Amino acid sequence: MTPCVSAARWTFARVVVLMLALAGLGGEAEAQAPVKITLWHAMGGARYDAITKEIAAGFNKAHPRYVLEPLYSGSYGETVTKAIAAIRAGDPPHIVQVFEVGTQTMLDSGAIIPVTDLVKPGDIDFGDYIEPILNYYQVGGKLYSMPFNSSTAIIYYNKDVFQKAGLDPDRPPATYQDVEAMGRKIVASGAARHAITFGWPSWMLEQAHAMHNRPYADRDNGRGGRATRVLFNEPFGVEVLSRWTRWAGEKLLAYGGREYAPNKAFLAGEVAMLMQSTSQVTTIEKAARFRVGTGFLPRIEGQPAGKSVIGGASLWVLRGPGRSPEELDAIVKFFKFIAQPEETAKWHMSTGYFPATRTAVALLRQQEWFLKNPNHETAFKQIQEGPDTPNTRGVLLGNFVQIRNITDSAIEKALSGRLSPKEALDEAAREANRLLDEYNRIHK
Amino acid sequence: MEGRFPERGLPYLLLLPSIAVIALFLLYPSAEALRLSLYELSPFTGQGRFVGLANFREVLSSEIYRRSLGVSLVFALGVVVLGLSLSLGIAVLASLPLRGAGVYRTVLLWPYALSPAVAGTIWALLFDPSTGPATVLLRGVTGASPNWMMSGGYALAVTVVAAAWKILGFNIVFFLAGLQAVPRDLQEAARVDGAGAGAVFWRVTFPILSPITFFLFVMNSLYAFFEVFGLIDVMTQGGPGGATEILVYRLYQDAFIATRWGIASAQSILLFVMVGALTLLQFRLAGRRVVYG
Repeated sequence: MTPCVSAARWTFARVVVLMLALAGLGGEAEAQAPVKITLWHAMGGARYDAITKEIAAGFNKAHPRYVLEPLYSGSYGETVTKAIAAIRAGDPPHIVQVFEVGTQTMLDSGAIIPVTDLVKPGDIDFGDYIEPILNYYQVGGKLYSMPFNSSTAIIYYNKDVFQKAGLDPDRPPATYQDVEAMGRKIVASGAARHAITFGWPSWMLEQAHAMHNRPYADRDNGRGGRATRVLFNEPFGVEVLSRWTRWAGEKLLAYGGREYAPNKAFLAGEVAMLMQSTSQVTTIEKAARFRVGTGFLPRIEGQPAGKSVIGGASLWVLRGPGRSPEELDAIVKFFKFIAQPEETAKWHMSTGYFPATRTAVALLRQQEWFLKNPNHETAFKQIQEGPDTPNTRGVLLGNFVQIRNITDSAIEKALSGRLSPKEALDEAAREANRLLDEYNRIHK
Repeated sequence: MEGRFPERGLPYLLLLPSIAVIALFLLYPSAEALRLSLYELSPFTGQGRFVGLANFREVLSSEIYRRSLGVSLVFALGVVVLGLSLSLGIAVLASLPLRGAGVYRTVLLWPYALSPAVAGTIWALLFDPSTGPATVLLRGVTGASPNWMMSGGYALAVTVVAAAWKILGFNIVFFLAGLQAVPRDLQEAARVDGAGAGAVFWRVTFPILSPITFFLFVMNSLYAFFEVFGLIDVMTQGGPGGATEILVYRLYQDAFIATRWGIASAQSILLFVMVGALTLLQFRLAGRRVVYG
């Protein structure tokens, strides 16, 4: 027994020595090594290739002194949670991609460096960014994160199905009544099994509020101080969910799950219309075996005009122990890189996210991109219509990730008939307000 | 034959690695969970305010949590009943002296070798509301077009079947082993005495299988409570409307999506107590009917 133990101890000692030697070696080599920065992102599907092969690889090629390491860290929700855990552990990534829902959380984290504190004036012209995008990520007039992949929701429709049902394939529905009238025709003619579906149910409810200039939460949608109450269970929200529930009852609406799952039913020709993020334009156009049309989100008749709201994500810089000036410099260089019109335009073309700057848009127009790809322009046109009010700038909530889940759940309960739309939204609002109270208690 | 260690300290030294592992990965986290369950914590700093039992009160008074508890019980019951009865039936068939019985037995074990995520993906594709083969089949046979994204009951049924299917192979292997240990002469004696096939099975074979059935009963319950997370996450994410939100999934939501560490810790303590009590109850009630040897 004893020789065995001593052999093990001997091996252990050798391993330790070897590790120490390697660590020393690493330290020496580091002097010449390129500066490494990490980016945690949530870009799955076609967007994964775009961010790794185009953006990261492009940046690394253009700047041999820096190495940007992109790391896929799951869904948007998971990415925020992982970043929080990393902040707590004291080893956060340099940059993290956070969806709009995480904005309030990031602001309260105490772990971020506002992008305008880092980027010197003249490095990046933020005035070049399209106003609705800037408005979303500015809080109290200050820009905190780097605009990157901004989207909004539009309606996609199957032109072939429209034609088969005797509808004009070049006229998407403009109002909820259109959706109903066209939908009934489509289902009755057998052109498709169902009329409509949508992804991101809670976001669609948020979109409906913004589209009709209604507040989603108190204190100017959380932009005039921390929100304390959600307002989605007021008569307007109940009206929206009642319409959807009626569609479900008539079999016009085939709910297909949260996020991007319902794309499948649309692409299979089972459902004629799809309300979904613009980030899916490229993916859907590539996968569809029919002519794809796009239009503005349908409006509810007799309601005031608003504007569709920004979604997607932006890049946040995280403070970390021992960040060197070179690392911060690398971050700025990276932001400058993605702000270039060519890169912004390319990112738009391979995904469908907004070309976020005016110069990128001009470049795309010069290349006649929108003429050839009209579906890529729909969202862009939509976002420029309508008034700019606190209600259309997007809601800021603490604990928003979980509140979204609660609202998703409420929408599903109403659509499946388990609860009435009013009951479902009231229940969700009670839970959401509890979470807001808790959040405001913790983050004083 | 009793060996002795030359030194008194050596046995403890040899036990040290396992004790260290248990302390590091079991005892320390459990103690930490218990401590955290008494705090309201900031997700960023981990600093918090002592709130006593407020987290437990909050959890137990939440409508969402209570519903999740109900869903968990129904889910576990469904998985255990379906999983055990189906696997017992299949094991009996597979133990018959058939040609190629070895092949059947091997194939039957396969589902158990799949990861929950893969199993979940398979079932999600099968029952996809628009393109799933199972949906198309159901539509053809019944005329109805079930959508598990909208119907909570249907979603729960599909996840129960998927979870039971996943553990089927595990159950079958144990039942097969048990069946092989049933003495043939006992069965023959019963048959000579004029007992039918059913009577032989229920009066002779099943009592001999009872220790294994009980073991599987406990294991399947634990599986249904703790190990189906991946399946639920891939298939339904607890939806629609919380219809498949079992307790572990609720816990995951609060811990890893909402970063409500205090609330989540309280839930993990509650879950531990509940499952512990359930297992104890099983030993008390069902354990008595088990015939050993």
